[in-house]
Formats: sequence, C-alpha cells, structure tokens
Amino acid sequence: MDRGLVTLIGMSIAYIASLLGMGFAYWAWRRRQRRSGKDKQP
Amino acid sequence: MPFSALDWFWTGAYLALMVGGPLFFYKLARRSESDFFLAGRGLPWWLPASSVFSTHTATDTPMWVTGVVYAHGLRGLWYTFFAAWTSVGAFVSARMFRRSLAYTQAEWQVVRFGGLGAELLRGWLAGWQVFMNMFILGWVGMAMGKVCHLAFGWPIWVGLVIPSTITAVYTLAAGFWGVVIGDFLQGIVALWAIIFVSVVGVVAAGGAGAVTARLVSLGQEWRLDPFAFTGWLSGDFPAVWWLTMLVIAVLGGFGMGTSIDWYVEAQRIQSARTLRDACYGIWAGGAITLVRNAFWAAGILGFFVMLPHLGAAAEYELGWFRLGFELLPAGLVGVFFGAVLAIHFSTISSHLNLGALYFTRDLYQRFLHPEASQRRLVWVGRIATFVLLLGSFFYGLMMEEITQWLIFALWLMMAGIWLPNILQVVWWRFNSAGYLASWMANLGISWLVVWVLPAFGVLPKLPDYLQFWLLMGLGALVFLPATLLTRAEDMDHLVRYYVMVRPLGWWGPVRREALRRGLIVAETPVDATAAKRPFIRRRWTSAEADRWSREDWIAIVVSPLVFAGILIGLTELLLGQATGLWITLATVAGGVFLYWVIDPKLRAVSVEYEARQARYLEDLERQHRWGEEVGH
Repeated sequence: MDRGLVTLIGMSIAYIASLLGMGFAYWAWRRRQRRSGKDKQP
Repeated sequence: MPFSALDWFWTGAYLALMVGGPLFFYKLARRSESDFFLAGRGLPWWLPASSVFSTHTATDTPMWVTGVVYAHGLRGLWYTFFAAWTSVGAFVSARMFRRSLAYTQAEWQVVRFGGLGAELLRGWLAGWQVFMNMFILGWVGMAMGKVCHLAFGWPIWVGLVIPSTITAVYTLAAGFWGVVIGDFLQGIVALWAIIFVSVVGVVAAGGAGAVTARLVSLGQEWRLDPFAFTGWLSGDFPAVWWLTMLVIAVLGGFGMGTSIDWYVEAQRIQSARTLRDACYGIWAGGAITLVRNAFWAAGILGFFVMLPHLGAAAEYELGWFRLGFELLPAGLVGVFFGAVLAIHFSTISSHLNLGALYFTRDLYQRFLHPEASQRRLVWVGRIATFVLLLGSFFYGLMMEEITQWLIFALWLMMAGIWLPNILQVVWWRFNSAGYLASWMANLGISWLVVWVLPAFGVLPKLPDYLQFWLLMGLGALVFLPATLLTRAEDMDHLVRYYVMVRPLGWWGPVRREALRRGLIVAETPVDATAAKRPFIRRRWTSAEADRWSREDWIAIVVSPLVFAGILIGLTELLLGQATGLWITLATVAGGVFLYWVIDPKLRAVSVEYEARQARYLEDLERQHRWGEEVGH
C-alpha cells in the first residue's frame, strides 16, 4: 500500500476517534444542560 | 533456532513468574476503579519507577536504539535522550499533576479548564488515547512477531497474538495492580538480560579495548564521540538538531503531554502514595531507562565492529537480539527469550490498562454513565481491555503498514502541540479555546508542511529540526489569537485550580485573587528574612514548601545534567574510556547533591499533601458526579 495512503488512513482513524470522543462530550454536555434547565423550572 | 529442553524450562519458569506474580493481586484490583487503574494510589516510589522503565522497554525499543547507535555511533544516543523530560518533569509537571488527582491527562483538562471547552478537550483526548494505545499495542505486537520469526521461524501472527493474549490474562484480571507488579518482576528480568547480553556483545568483540581499537582501524573513531555532529546545519546529524532534541526533552518537562510517554507516566504519577513518591518514581524510571541505553549502546558498538558493513536498517536493527540468540549458549538462550517476553509483557500490559482507563474513566463514566457503581466500572475496564486486545490484533494483522504512520503521527503531535502543552501548565491566560485550536490547527498545518506542500513542490522537504520549529511557529499563529480573542477561564475555576495544584509560571492574577480570598498564605517579605535564609534551605514548613523557590530551580538545572552524565558517562565507562569514569563520578556527585537539595522540600510538601489528600479526593469525586452539581 502506498505510504501516503497508509498515513492518510492512519491519521484519519485517529482524528475520527478523537472527534467521536468530542462528540460524546458535547452530547453529554447538552443532556446535562437540559436536565439542569428542567430542574430550575417551577 | 534450536531450543533445548533447558531453554524451554527457563522460558516456562519466567512465564510462570511473570504471569503468576501479577495474578496474585486479582482480589485487590476488583475492589474499585481506583484499584483497577491506579493500584489504589498507594505505591511506594520504586514500583512506579520500575513500571516507567519496563513500559518504555518495549520489544521494538532494542531495534530502535540499535538502529540509531549502529547508524550514528554514540551521537545517536541523543535520540534516546528524550527520556530526559522526566528529569525536569519529576520536579515540575509530575508534582502539579499529582496534586490535581486526575486519573488521566484527559481528566486533567476539566481540572485546569472549565465549561464546555474543557469537556470537549476531555472527550478529544480520551478518544485520541483509546486509539493511540490500540495502535501502540498493534505496533509493539508486530515487533514481537518479527522477533519470534527471527528466533523460531514462526509466522508473524503467532508472535503477535500469543504473547499479547497471555499478557491480557493478568491485565484483565488484576488491572493496574497486575501491571505494576508484573512490571517490577519483568523489569528485573529485562534489565538483567540487557546488561548481560550487552556485556556478552562487547566481550565477543574482544573487549572494550578491542572495540575501540577496531573502530579506529576502520576509520570510524568518530562513533565514540557523542558530539560528533556533521556541522551546525548540514549533514544527517547537525548540531542544531541535537539542540532541538535537547529543548524538546528538557523544556518539555515543564509541560504535560509534551511526550507520548507522558500519558503513560501520568498513570504512574497518580498511583504513587505521596507526591514525593510520584516525583522519585518518575525520576528514577527515566534514569534507569538511560542506564539501559548506555548498556545497549556499548553492546551495539560491539556488534558494529563484528559486522560493520550492514547497509540496510532491516539488517542491523535486530543486532541486539542477534547478540542474545546467536552468542548465548544452550540454556541461557531460554533465559534470554524469557527476558524478551518480559520486555514485551510489560509494554503490552501497560497500554492495555491505559487504553481501558481512558475509555472507562473519561468516556464511559464521564459521558455515558456517571453514576456507575465501582463494580460496574471495574467490569467495563475489563471489557475495554479485551476489546483493545482484539483491536491491536486487527491493526497488527490486517493493516500492518498502517502502524507505520504512528511514528509520523507522534512526531507531528509533538511538534504542533508541544508549546501549547507547556503553556497550559505555566500560563494562566491560556484557555481551552487556545488548546483546542492548537490540536485542530496541528491537523491541517502538519499535513501541509510535512506532506502536501513538499509533494506539490511548493515547499522543499525540510530537515527534522526545521519541521519542528516551523510547525510550532505556524501553530502559534493559530492558538495564540484563539486564546487572546476569547475569554479567560472563569476566575473561580482558576483559583480553585491554583490552590489545589500550585502551578509554576505566570499565574500572578490568579495568585493575587487566591490571596485576596484568603485561600493561600502570603509569603513573608523577602527583606525580612533574606539575611537568615541560607543559599540552600533544608528546613521547610508545608506552606513554605508549596511555593516554588531557588531549590526547585537548582533541581531543574542539575537534574538534566545528571541524566546526560548517566547516558554519556556510563556508555564511555563501559567502553573503557577514562572520560567515562570522570563523568560517571561527577554524575554520582550531582545526583547526591540533587537529593540533598530537593528532598527536604519534597518531604515537606508530601506531609501537607498526605494530610489533605483524603479531602481533595472527596471533593474531586464530587466534582465528577454531575448529578450533584447545580447550575455549573
């Protein structure tokens, strides 16, 4: 396999994994904000 | 290679020791998440130290060290000097990280930064580390496959799958307890083998004097000079490249994450029972690693003079393994193979447990199931360990070539985010937006500088040192504006961080705010005590020891010199050079002086720290229970 392609695949997988982790973080943050908002409603 | 019954006996005996010992700690590991991933934060310094050494002595490490020393002689040792970040890190970043009580570098993000930015960074680093550990497992597994192929002619997959699976058995059962106990046993076996085989290599070449004489007769005496550079800027080893490596290693000790090893060491720092144990654990682990490199270098120069004309890296990189497998008599070959297994097990177990830690603590517990019970977290850790093992087989077997990208990725990561990794520690104004921007910018800029622009002829292919400085500079053009154009972190959060961690660097506004709130004690005015203060102070109260002082800076300066002395002095001593003796003696004296200067302060800090640790932990756990937070 071409070295450039190999590097592309490898780097992409790593960054996709990082973005997934960040996506989880955002989803959990939004969920927490919504719950926090509900708790404050009278 | 013929293996006698005695060889198999020794291999089996070492296996029983290295797997049986860790399994003995199964019951401790299942008690809690802290036990499964940090051995209950109760380890004396020599266990994290042996773990640092063992983890960073991987199956591919002898190949790498052999490669750089065979190609460059003793100047090649400077490549291995990156471990010197621990010489400064032990007294700076390790001290601060230990006080944060964060399990991982990802968790540290929410201690240092606040709000959504910190959460995004935590998720980003957790994802990065889960996959990075999987890649490292695949990479090191492939190296083991090649070694088994060399020794026995086995198919590559056998060496990849079987030893890693054996390692997973005790890692899965006994968690970090198993890892550190295994690392200790494996470290002893590995260090013994490295010393013995390297000495055998020198003796086989006729002894230290004969190695030197042969190098001279070959016209290769420059290989004995660790400062034999090819010019200031020219050649394959210019002085500026050496200086760049020194800067990366030594200044990197001020930051966190400046080396890929940092993520592994962070776990060992938190597993130590006190702050002092954490500092000494990291320092000693780095120092033993350099002792190891010195023995390897001597043995590899012996290998070089016996076989000086190997042109291809693939031929000479297995040089140290060849010394062991080809020169040792029947019986001892089995011992050597047991040591090779020890080297492999220690690295695999560490990365299995570390990858599982990032998944369990930073993804599962933080984002998916914050209220998970301790029992459940331990089981998630075990399942994650197993999945990482399978993933490493996939990357090792199915996509072998992809593991090659790792070297590239490690280099890019270090170059582009090296400075932000320091700034996040030493500069109060650096914020989560700036740090996140540095990671994102690194993705694009590194591709452009290293690969895309050279491919299109826009930019020549730059030497390594220029790549590093260019990537760092271009990254700064992005993360500095991102930092300064966005708001500073919330002052309440920064003050809490400051009081907890007592960071070194530019923290003036935060410190003043902490003083105003009465959260820290003001220093006695300098002019009132200047006459009484000795140049090196050896009596400290806990509050006084919390502050950074002259003694810390002396340690920061002396410690890397001691590390350089270990590496160069011991290597030259093993090669029978008189300078080696003097450097080694000066190094020992420097080490004693270092201990004399810094130990009273570390003891005082630890006393205070231990007294408050239980409260810190209680507070920290509460912070991470989202359900208990209100409106934050």
